[in-house]
Amino acid sequence: MSDLTLTTLDRDGALLEPLAGLHGSTRAEFLSKAALGGATLLAAFAAPPDADAQSAKRDVAILNFALALEYLQDAFYSEVERLGGFSGELGRQARVVGAHERAHVEALRKVLGGRAISRGRYDFRGATEKPEAFTRTAVAFEDLAVAAYKGQAPYISDSGLLVAALGIHTVEARHAAWIRRLAGSSPAPNAFDEPRTGKSVLTLVARTNFTMKTGSRRSPRFTG
Amino acid sequence: MTLVGDSPPAQPAPGARAGASTLPRPPKPAFQIGDPVPLASDRHESRWAKVKTATVARAEPRPRARPVGHLSQRTPEDTTNLVPALDRAVDRGGRLWVRVRLPVLPNNTTGWVPRRALGGYGIVHTRFVVDLDALQATLLRDGRPVMRVPVGVGTPAAPTPRGEFYVRNRLTSYRSPFYGPLAFGTSARSPTLTDWPAGGFVGIHGTNRPDLVPGRVSHGCIRLRNRDMRRLGSAMPVGTPITVR
Repeated sequence: MSDLTLTTLDRDGALLEPLAGLHGSTRAEFLSKAALGGATLLAAFAAPPDADAQSAKRDVAILNFALALEYLQDAFYSEVERLGGFSGELGRQARVVGAHERAHVEALRKVLGGRAISRGRYDFRGATEKPEAFTRTAVAFEDLAVAAYKGQAPYISDSGLLVAALGIHTVEARHAAWIRRLAGSSPAPNAFDEPRTGKSVLTLVARTNFTMKTGSRRSPRFTG
Repeated sequence: MTLVGDSPPAQPAPGARAGASTLPRPPKPAFQIGDPVPLASDRHESRWAKVKTATVARAEPRPRARPVGHLSQRTPEDTTNLVPALDRAVDRGGRLWVRVRLPVLPNNTTGWVPRRALGGYGIVHTRFVVDLDALQATLLRDGRPVMRVPVGVGTPAAPTPRGEFYVRNRLTSYRSPFYGPLAFGTSARSPTLTDWPAGGFVGIHGTNRPDLVPGRVSHGCIRLRNRDMRRLGSAMPVGTPITVR
């Protein structure tokens, strides 16, 4: 994922939480397992291991994982639009795709209701401000979203949910093709999409300091 | 001429050969994806960023410009330091700079820092406005008042500084009735109490003397009655800009 990793982006663990949920473990337990080897993380995107889990519960977990990815993309494109640094086709792509991602977020939040995970905070490390970094990161995000939906879709038990998820999946694939064209890459380089094996995902555990400490229990020393 | 008897046997339509007539209808989606959602108006948004690495703030967006302040990663309360992001510029070398508000004296100082020294952006839709003449504070959300409360402010000898500041952190669970149940740290500094511990920062906090609010009673801090402070504590996020006028 160019110079970005999910770890550096996912300051609050907003992606890790639902991913761990799919595997029936806490984020810490999941990270501990994942630290043993990158294959664990690849498997995480490929399939939940607990095949006996209640299907409805698993559907919710999968939709929350999708929501986490949509939050990430929504935050990314919305920040680009707010900063207003890009013009021309790149600016238009960010505006249009951002509006799609916000629609995805709205729909997923609505269907999940009170079970929806909360929005995270992300550090895009300047990728929302420099065209080259933006393009590289957007390609990575869209490819990631396509791979993530594809990886989880076979495990959605409710066919109605599956159809809706596939409706998002194909739009993400169009986004990926669009930004790939703008990046000068082939929109469809292969006849068959392999499961994602990007090293960027495997570096998920590289750092753990996602959060900001904004609260303290120290006694104030203000002027009073 | 083709005779009927010479016609080739009738061929099934391509779709029928593939069994199309027996394919099930697509399931109905369990939820609908609505129309694209435009970005909401950002007229009342403010952006902040955490200080990722200690850095020097400069008068202009270039590496050798005059230093105007120093930013550390932590506040005196040991929370993550954050700064409002006011503007952006790219220097001749293509490096991105951000103009930020600084928690330094003189108050209202701004400076340029390298973008790489800052973390991701946060957004707030709130603003806290303190009216020193009316002894009143107002919390705005999306430009609309959501809370208006009486306040205690600095005495003439230790006045609450006027200007533009921001909320840096939120302190809870300490044991000091003087500061009430909750306190916000701000970037404002007392211009007179410069030797105060930790730099003489102005706080927004509760009190054990509600009878003195409203009034000109503090060393510069903004005091609220504890009930008001609890309400403010749940309504005002860190990063909120403060205007003292």
